[in-house]
Amino acid sequence: MRNSRAFGIFSGILVLGFVVGFAKRDSGEIAALETALVVDEPFDKVMAVLTHKRCVNCHPSGDTPLQGEDSHLHNFDVMRGPTGHGLAGYTCNTCHGDENNDYSGVPGAPEWAVAPLEMAWEGKTRVEIAQQMMDPARNGGRSAHDILEHLTEHELVLWAWDPGVDAEGHPREKPPVSKEEYIEAVTEWIESGAVIPAE
Amino acid sequence: MRRRKFLKYSGAGLGLMLGGIWLARNPLRRKLFELGETMILSYQGDTSNPLLWMQVTPENTIVLHSSKVEMGQGTFTSLAQMAAEELEVDMDKITVVHAETGSGNIDGMGTGGSMSVASLWVPLREMAATLREMLRSKAAEKLGVKASALSLTDGVFQSGGNSLTFGEVVAGVQDWDIPDTPTLKEKSSFKCVGKPVPRVDLYDKVVGAPIFGMDAEFPDMLHASVVRANLIDATMSNFDTSEAEKMQGVVQIVKDDDFIGVVAHSRVEANNARLKIKFEQTPNAKWNLADVKERVMVGNGKKTVVQKEGKAVEDISGGGEIFTLEFRSPIGAHAQLEPNGAVASYRDGKVDIKISTQVPMIARDEVAKALGLDKDNVNIIPTFLGGGFGRRLHTPNAIQAAKMSKAVGKPVKSFFDRQQEFQNDTFRPPTHHVMKAKVSPEGEVLGLEHQFASGDTMFNSSLDPGTARALRADIGSIRGGTLIYDAIPHRSTYYHVDLPFATSFWRSLGLLANAFAIESFIDELAIKTNQDPVQMRLKFIGDDNPYGVRAKNVIEACAEKAGYSEEVVDGRAMGIAATIDSGSPCAHVAEVSITNGQIKVHKVTAAFDCGIAVNPDQVRAQVEGCICMGISAVLFEQMDLNDNKLSPINYGAYQMAMMKDTPREIDVVLIEGADIPGPVGEPPLGPIGAAIGNAVRRLSGKRLTELPLKLV
Amino acid sequence: MKISLIINGISKNVDVDGNSPLLWAIRDGLGLKGTKFGCGKAACGACTIHVDGQAVRSCSYPAKKAEGKEITTIEGLSKDGELHPVQQAWMEEVVPQCGYCQPGFMMATAAMLDKIPNPTDEDIDHNIINVCRCATYYRMRKAIHRAAELSAENS
Repeated sequence: MRNSRAFGIFSGILVLGFVVGFAKRDSGEIAALETALVVDEPFDKVMAVLTHKRCVNCHPSGDTPLQGEDSHLHNFDVMRGPTGHGLAGYTCNTCHGDENNDYSGVPGAPEWAVAPLEMAWEGKTRVEIAQQMMDPARNGGRSAHDILEHLTEHELVLWAWDPGVDAEGHPREKPPVSKEEYIEAVTEWIESGAVIPAE
Repeated sequence: MRRRKFLKYSGAGLGLMLGGIWLARNPLRRKLFELGETMILSYQGDTSNPLLWMQVTPENTIVLHSSKVEMGQGTFTSLAQMAAEELEVDMDKITVVHAETGSGNIDGMGTGGSMSVASLWVPLREMAATLREMLRSKAAEKLGVKASALSLTDGVFQSGGNSLTFGEVVAGVQDWDIPDTPTLKEKSSFKCVGKPVPRVDLYDKVVGAPIFGMDAEFPDMLHASVVRANLIDATMSNFDTSEAEKMQGVVQIVKDDDFIGVVAHSRVEANNARLKIKFEQTPNAKWNLADVKERVMVGNGKKTVVQKEGKAVEDISGGGEIFTLEFRSPIGAHAQLEPNGAVASYRDGKVDIKISTQVPMIARDEVAKALGLDKDNVNIIPTFLGGGFGRRLHTPNAIQAAKMSKAVGKPVKSFFDRQQEFQNDTFRPPTHHVMKAKVSPEGEVLGLEHQFASGDTMFNSSLDPGTARALRADIGSIRGGTLIYDAIPHRSTYYHVDLPFATSFWRSLGLLANAFAIESFIDELAIKTNQDPVQMRLKFIGDDNPYGVRAKNVIEACAEKAGYSEEVVDGRAMGIAATIDSGSPCAHVAEVSITNGQIKVHKVTAAFDCGIAVNPDQVRAQVEGCICMGISAVLFEQMDLNDNKLSPINYGAYQMAMMKDTPREIDVVLIEGADIPGPVGEPPLGPIGAAIGNAVRRLSGKRLTELPLKLV
Repeated sequence: MKISLIINGISKNVDVDGNSPLLWAIRDGLGLKGTKFGCGKAACGACTIHVDGQAVRSCSYPAKKAEGKEITTIEGLSKDGELHPVQQAWMEEVVPQCGYCQPGFMMATAAMLDKIPNPTDEDIDHNIINVCRCATYYRMRKAIHRAAELSAENS
């Protein structure tokens, strides 16, 4: 195209169309695509992390968490159980400890568990996730400050930047934003009112 | 002069005979295949000396040294029952142990083919009866009475007020006369055989006793981990052990022409160091699953006509059509829970090896050859196997452990890890099938044909590859591939294909895939020609073949017990299938539903004729196990291949049937159609694939032709 | 690293690399072979033990974490020479075939029955996720119901 601005708009529409076309697919791909849309605003950075598979895998919309780089249903159909800590014949801690295990390739962090259904993120847009997360009626009665603390200090959340290796010894993919940048972005976003854009 | 004539005539005779054999080679070959499908091979080992097998202890117990190994199939218990029957002792007096090859009690064939009980049915009972009479003579001698004056109850001889236990009889005796073999008991007098006694290894397995190869030890033992390829058809080179050598606990890195192993003070240290060994793998050719599938196709490879009765489908006269369907089965992994390994102790030109193996004799011979030792200086001590399924017929692990022990001068325990097990399995080969039938314009089935292609089962095995090659067809892959429907023209043609990765015996060998293809096709034919699938099968099985007659009884019994019907009721449908494997007919009816594209098996009714069931409870256990392992293979299991890399390489990723996939009901009807015990451990795997596929056909209208069965 | 633990009611010390799986400390360090190695990746469950009463796959549990904990292995499931109800039921139903996976299943089952004394078939389906290649699941299910009965009788 001779006109570079037209080209820019054209390719923007192409990308958008691409995104919309793919938006209907399952969560693994949504996470992957939203990751690709990292832009500069704090909200963008925060949500680029929260929609990454390292986070969404344990915020499933069903009873079984997701697993792996392709976010398949966790092997052996393990279930969340009454409190998100598994069942009785096994709990999450039957396999997952409070740190990553390099021998078995099983990831670990303190309080390893599945997020409650009210905090399911699988299949949701970043706006839906953000709205849900900041709504005390749906987030376990937490204030914005509570959420800030949870997102920046909870070991299970920060595990995403130290996700260990899998059963074959391959390192797990980390979120697309560094931990420091993410913490900065969360802080800025929430302290300036946790404004959620239209999309 | 006369002698020369004789030589001339006998030479001519020999020539004629050989020429005749050559001319008749194909029918002869086919006859052998037919025999192979039903024949029970005789036991290949010494059964002339009861004392080689049975040991009487001073505590008046019997130790039965079994040359057949126990891998869950219940052989130890059945053999104990057979021995107890003729010895006239109660079961609680018998302990069964694995015979070390050094004892001289050596099985020339190995444990497999569902042959253990069948092949020892007569010889073991004869040895037990002979031992009983040896003890009786000695007891008579010691008590100063006639042998005929002695009564015998549960290991105690009595005459008048005097008695002697077996233990007391053998005390101090050095020499034994072995009498003529006594007459065996009649079936009507059996007290032990035919009873559902609890397994002899039950308690040990419930308390976690250290009975497996993985549990075995020698004093002052070291641990090892060996490097194995993780690509197929690749050459390994440029090994760099520099980092590994510095790792904690490493004693020595043993480098051999055939392998590299790390010997260390603990399993963890050996494995950690082994993982630090760097090497290159250069593929000889690039392989993906599509390449394998392209190769495994009817028409490719070496062709052998296995069965040829009546006209070929194309040559049957009259109008009508030739109806064809193709089927496929995938690469299947063994995935037995106990990894392969061995514990070897080499000292002064002799080596003892504790190992979970299905072939103690071959293991001994291979180790002897590899180490340049006399066979008598290699002693294989078999352990209970944590699963066999045909995986333990290859023993590089025994050779590796022995070599490492020799190198370091201490006993060495070496085991593969789970990934190595998956990457270096001797898989069930993938197959391709073309089924054909001639159907007349009136809807009559006039002829059948099964053409099938498979990778190796027996050709590259150390277990009698000679016979397989002489017959020019892989007996293992052919298993279950001949048609049992002998009332109409029927043919079976096998194509043997070479593959770039190891394939070998997997429980029931070719039966699983072959029966799936044949029995699915038969069912489709029934639907196509508007016939009842049970009646059609009964019609197509002739009355001349005694196995066929037994099969018909089994089919009818199964259909009746299951209440077989073509109707879909409450979202469930039934499918029926039947096979004759190694002479043991089996039929299954599977009751199935489909939810969200997921196939669920709710109930399986099985009718099984293995002749005499030495232990009916354990026969049932084998049928249940085959059904559930069959469901696993048929609904879930398959290996993938990408850029020479096999996957998956662990449980979970390699999908298998679990507790939740197990039918709520399994009904087993046992039929005794013969006066001898026949094969049990594998035949019940035959019908399960098609039984499920046939049910799915009625539920969904779809004929699934590939394993694993998937609707979505 | 020296680790003190209470295993099957007895205080024991074992000297192992603290990060290495507890499985090997149990099998080789302490000579208790009932807990099995099947995969080393927490997939098959053959290594299942109890740590402070909870089911744990010992191939994915560092030895250092066992310090001061109460460990129960299959050898410790029976008490004072009496088989645990799960083991009794396993005997009654003649569950094992090759037997290699069975200790792991019995440990998982005992842990389940502690919290679900009267499980339904669905409970069993969801809770028991170990791997058995001989596929003895059918008899296991019966044995689990029987074990629940036996436990109720005992209490």
